[in-house]
Amino acid sequence: MSAPLTCEGLARSFGGVKAVQGVSLALPAGAVTALVGPNGAGKTTVFNLITGNLKADEGTAQIRGRPIIGLKPWQVARLGVARSFQDLRLFTQMNVRDNVLAATERGAWFWQGGDKRARLAAAEAAMEATGLTALAEARAVDLAYAERKFLSMARILAAGADIWLLDEPASGLDLSSRLRFGQLLKDARARGVAICLIEHNLDVVVDLADRIAFLDRGLVLAEGAPKEIMNDPKLAAIYFGDRSHEVAA
Amino acid sequence: MLFVQLLLGGVQNGALYALTAAGFALIFGATKVFHVAHGSAFTLAGYVFLYGWTHNWNSLLSSLAAVAVAVAFGVGMERLVYRPIQRHEGSFFTVFVAAFGVSIVVQNLVGVFAGRGFASIDTPLSNASEVLPELFLADVFWVAILVALVMFVALTLFLSRTNAGVALRALAQNPDLLRAYGLSSSRLSMLAFALGSALVAPAAILTAMTTGLNEAVGNHVMLLSMASTIVGGVGSLRGAALAGLLLGVAESVVLVFLETQWASAASFLVLFGFILFKPSGMFGAAVAK
Amino acid sequence: MIAYFSNLATLVAIFGILAVTLNFMVGFAGIFSVAHAVFFGLGAYAGAQIALTVAPNPFLACAVAALIAGVLSLCLALPALRVRGEYFVAASLGLQMVALTLFSEVKSLTGGIGGLTNIPRPQIFGMEVGVLPLALLALGLLLWAIHAMANGSFGRTLKAIRDAESAAEAMGKPVAVAKALAVAFACAGAGVAGALFALHMSFVNVESFTLDQSVLVMAMVIVGGTGTLFGPLVGAVLLLSLPSALSFLTFIPPTEVGSVQQIIYGLAMTLLMVFRPAGLLGDQNKGKSHA
Repeated sequence: MSAPLTCEGLARSFGGVKAVQGVSLALPAGAVTALVGPNGAGKTTVFNLITGNLKADEGTAQIRGRPIIGLKPWQVARLGVARSFQDLRLFTQMNVRDNVLAATERGAWFWQGGDKRARLAAAEAAMEATGLTALAEARAVDLAYAERKFLSMARILAAGADIWLLDEPASGLDLSSRLRFGQLLKDARARGVAICLIEHNLDVVVDLADRIAFLDRGLVLAEGAPKEIMNDPKLAAIYFGDRSHEVAA
Repeated sequence: MLFVQLLLGGVQNGALYALTAAGFALIFGATKVFHVAHGSAFTLAGYVFLYGWTHNWNSLLSSLAAVAVAVAFGVGMERLVYRPIQRHEGSFFTVFVAAFGVSIVVQNLVGVFAGRGFASIDTPLSNASEVLPELFLADVFWVAILVALVMFVALTLFLSRTNAGVALRALAQNPDLLRAYGLSSSRLSMLAFALGSALVAPAAILTAMTTGLNEAVGNHVMLLSMASTIVGGVGSLRGAALAGLLLGVAESVVLVFLETQWASAASFLVLFGFILFKPSGMFGAAVAK
Repeated sequence: MIAYFSNLATLVAIFGILAVTLNFMVGFAGIFSVAHAVFFGLGAYAGAQIALTVAPNPFLACAVAALIAGVLSLCLALPALRVRGEYFVAASLGLQMVALTLFSEVKSLTGGIGGLTNIPRPQIFGMEVGVLPLALLALGLLLWAIHAMANGSFGRTLKAIRDAESAAEAMGKPVAVAKALAVAFACAGAGVAGALFALHMSFVNVESFTLDQSVLVMAMVIVGGTGTLFGPLVGAVLLLSLPSALSFLTFIPPTEVGSVQQIIYGLAMTLLMVFRPAGLLGDQNKGKSHA
């Protein structure tokens, strides 16, 4: 398995608090890696360090061998990284189609290079896959909760990236929406996309993840197949907020 | 001696700028309203005092009338303009344009009813005497500094010792938290407007006694208060006041090297520089972006 | 009478250019500049100098004006990249004040307070032409360009940045470039308006480029409705016809007409913001959620 995205020893502290201290990860192509851990474990910070939204104090990260630390977020995106945000950050005043089309356009110049028809087709396909075609003309701000979540996914799909960083994409979805969402991920995995997923719902994790990286207090405590991680009582205790076993330490 | 003379003049102006800036910063900090019509409260207060003076009112009565008008204007703006806009989720720019509209109206109404051009009053306080060779100082210098100091001490005591004051500071930090404790943020924001606007009255009165007023003086006051708030660091009253003082001094001292017309450009260059290189200001914790 | 209306029409076209370009910055890019008159002024001085010293060719004057205003728009783009909201408005106010001082003090280029006088009438191939058709042509071209951008990828990029800058950046869009381009385009447009203004008036001085003028243009945009194509034009027509409408009200003493006019501008701005914040032609639902 090749790993298009790897990072080693990423660290970042905020005013003395070590949010992330030496995280190493490899995201293999065609696999779903879940970042799991209690609140404040530093999961979103890891994403922000990879995408260049935050500067890493230490550590390196590569996309297909190319160092990306120090690059700006748009430069990282152009290397094939698509990310979603926990708070979605939709283009609220634009309609669904424009939201998705915007994800296919990278140029900031007065016009775009490349094949306009291909971009339109990618946008239509992304809306179709997420079930938003009928809502193409609706403004993002007017969508229902689940529709917003799927719009966020449609933007990821349309971007044509082969590395996805998804921050709680399934939170708050009802069961049928969650199944549809799961199918989107499975299709992408089959196409060879390297997916990294921050997720709190362990059912979703077990259903989708090929590997789990367990984060706590900015450290990767364990990494492995879902079964091994889920059956580790120590990790479960940390996850569910019971730290009594640490008192002695 | 010219330098010292300019420096002292700058300190006098700066003390007054510090007052208006603190008022602006108090309002912005507590209510997040960029009160662009702040200068209008200054204009109105100054002209009311002027009216009282020319009609031989008691000077205490004139001063109280000036404070009352400034407070009424500030509270009126909060109730009639800012709150309705915020109710329909208006953006900051909606607020800005509405307030700018009011300041245009005030400026021109004052122009129509009080006449255009400079108006000032002569009091025994404004007569300068030579305190040192070639160094002239009017009593109003000491009055300005004393008034500014007294107002700051009073404001600081109010904000740290009274329940309402502490609640105001809390409002600046976390309005949601305050609401959760059942404190009325709407009454507190009225209080912020009342206090912030009251602070401009003494500055307006003293300006009427020294450099004089004109109908457009509010623009300058507004720009300086805004500049001081940003340069001082949003959220810091002390920063705003200190920046007001510094801008006043800078405006005056720059005259050693440059002609008068460059004076206000100098303060705005300072503002521009801060926004470009240190948008959090001198004492601000929050980053602007 | 014809001369009067042709003069009014020319001014409407020139201020229409200012309003639609400012609207482009405000409505699409969310950059709330109160320094548009600065770039109007830069264009006017540049155009006037070209006509006075090189040739009264309106195309050359407009091109140089657009170039100078567009390049110097970096002074506005830099703060726009660093800060937003109130801070940016403050920065643009600062720029406006500094520029005004420069306009009145750099006498060799601007003529100082006295301004530049005797600017020759525009000529094309030795034939004198009126400014009205030129201004209408420029306005038409700009409207067409803005319409095309609004519905194309550049407008989409700007709106995306306005709504969620970090998400736009995460899609590979260099936000700084897009913002700087939008500012440069709008300011170059203001420069063209300035050059046409100088040729039309054959006299320019600093009085036309004050904060009040910036606010007037802003009022046109607001009254008409930000983010709409024709709203700012409606605003320009309304606000420019106000002085002539007021002249019919004979009970206002002539010395106070200016003040009454300003009071009406001011009241209109405030009342609109309180009761109809999206302007006369704007979508009143904008910014609100129905979900």
